[in-house]
Amino acid sequence: MTVKGRVRVAIVGAGLIGIDLIEKIQRSEALDCRLVVGRDRQTLCLRRAAEMGCATAAGGIVSLLESGLGFNVVFDASNADCHAEHWSRLQATGATLIDLTPAQLGTMVVPTVNGADALAHRHINLVSCGGQAAIPVLHAIAQHSTIEYVEVVCTGASASAGRATRLNLDHYIETTQAALRAFTGAEDVKVMVNLSPAQPAPPFRVAMTVLTPGVQLDPIRATVEAAAGKVRAFAPGFAVTSCAVTDGRISVVVEVTAEGGRIPRYAGNLDIINAAAVLLAEQHPTIRSR
Amino acid sequence: MESPVDKAMNTQASRVLIHDPTLRDGHHAVRHQLDRDQLRAYAAAADAARVPVVEVGHGNGLGASSLQIGRAKLSDTEMLSVVRDALTHSRMGVFMAPGWGTSTDLRNAVSRGADVVRIAAHCTEADVTERHLVVVGELGAEPHGVLLMSHMASPDQLAEQCALLAEFGAQAVGIFDSAGYYLPADVTERITAIVEAVDVPVPVLFHGHNNLGMAVANSVAAVQAGARIIDGTARGFGAGAGNTQLEVLVAVLERMGHSTGIDLRAILHAADTAQERLMPAPPTIDSVSLVSGLAGVFSGFKTPVLETARREGVDPVEVFFELGRCQVVAGQEDLILDVARQLKEM
Repeated sequence: MTVKGRVRVAIVGAGLIGIDLIEKIQRSEALDCRLVVGRDRQTLCLRRAAEMGCATAAGGIVSLLESGLGFNVVFDASNADCHAEHWSRLQATGATLIDLTPAQLGTMVVPTVNGADALAHRHINLVSCGGQAAIPVLHAIAQHSTIEYVEVVCTGASASAGRATRLNLDHYIETTQAALRAFTGAEDVKVMVNLSPAQPAPPFRVAMTVLTPGVQLDPIRATVEAAAGKVRAFAPGFAVTSCAVTDGRISVVVEVTAEGGRIPRYAGNLDIINAAAVLLAEQHPTIRSR
Repeated sequence: MESPVDKAMNTQASRVLIHDPTLRDGHHAVRHQLDRDQLRAYAAAADAARVPVVEVGHGNGLGASSLQIGRAKLSDTEMLSVVRDALTHSRMGVFMAPGWGTSTDLRNAVSRGADVVRIAAHCTEADVTERHLVVVGELGAEPHGVLLMSHMASPDQLAEQCALLAEFGAQAVGIFDSAGYYLPADVTERITAIVEAVDVPVPVLFHGHNNLGMAVANSVAAVQAGARIIDGTARGFGAGAGNTQLEVLVAVLERMGHSTGIDLRAILHAADTAQERLMPAPPTIDSVSLVSGLAGVFSGFKTPVLETARREGVDPVEVFFELGRCQVVAGQEDLILDVARQLKEM
């Protein structure tokens, strides 16, 4: 059954990200989740999607195309290696594709930075969870100073990183680095990723270090807080845990917790990229013209 | 079914292959600042001693030069070129952990002449290595799969994770005692479990640290349990209290009847060269290193912990105990300042 006036969406990929995405879509008054497709009927996450009341199909992108359902927005929560094929098959359908894998093919969007006109693009890439956490802060800093070098170290709880993420660490790093260059203007960038098996599992943590000569603490602290406030408007678990300036070096640490019910609190990495995806889908013209 | 001991005896019982990461792990002790002449001098001396594999790189391996872990004086490419040119017999080794480096770094290293490539993961996260082990194999180098901070997992978990590494294509698999936490019985139990879980053609390796003064004894225990590749560094030059001391290891193994193929006099000369050229002083088990081992914290944290503790005016011993309580893993240096500040506020 179609809910009238809502944006019709589908999800490709029934992993940890897909499950949280379903929940966020179900909480949104603007979105109607019409189909979740995975590759294997037996996967736990596809069964959970069905338990959550979603129509599901197991044949991957093909079953989405053959479903006969029309979609305004398709979220790709599968993996970076499959993404190019997904885009080429979806292009003719007229759907907007929001890519949550680090495939670096679509227009890179970070909602608080360039989200306002994102839906002018049919193919959107959400960089990475680390990119979604770091870029709002780093972009804001870059408006005030020339960044010589930026380094981002992302640490996620081991249990929050699924199979696709683990296979795609190279894509994750390269795509996040490309986004840092694009959004901060810095030529010299470095991204590192750690997985922490500590118990209890720690929240998603992103440590940023920026080299910029002659910087002062007070304006930077205000800038960082303002940027964080904008992110918290759609990802309430986003918090700046430290902000320091010493000898031309800015160090900012943010931690992100998940506020949804179905994924654990520590999985802020899933929460922030999914919250960004839902926020963008809610801007689809179907809603605007309602 | 043959027992693990029989299995070990059947795989070239008396031969032990020594893998020498002096020019990689030692970098932790000198903030990754070795220069060309230093690399060249030691690589040539190790080569003359017929050390089978000479490993080089930033302390945390390819791609790890960073503000987080420490910036190296030389780029990966510069280090590899210098050492490659200095080696005539020894094979060149490199180390990379997915998340710190990428396949781009691997392709560069192999194109610069790396023969043996170790792909590392935290001891419970072996599945992050799959792609990179495959890439190394495709590039024609010898892939090894290694588990860091292995005291944080049970023998069964380590055996399971090592079997995964072998499944992904690793031609040698094993464990690093990155914190220097083990006693010989711990090593015996773990290596035995791993040897049993991994098929015979894949040798098992062990990499020790000396925080509790056990590195050589632990390496002997590893060999007795069936390990066939053992890491050692000249004078023990390495992170924290240092590694298994290479020249001692060679002497002990030869006395036990294991052949290493290394010339004793030449390795003594290489160790002297290392002491003269690479280090301000040979590693020692100072109080902070002892605590870092007891607390089970990555040995590479020593220098950054000392610096942060001094700056924040807190006791490095307490910082190490707290980091251990937080179960930090290698690469999480950004937590050191948080922990130091929390202690300061207490």
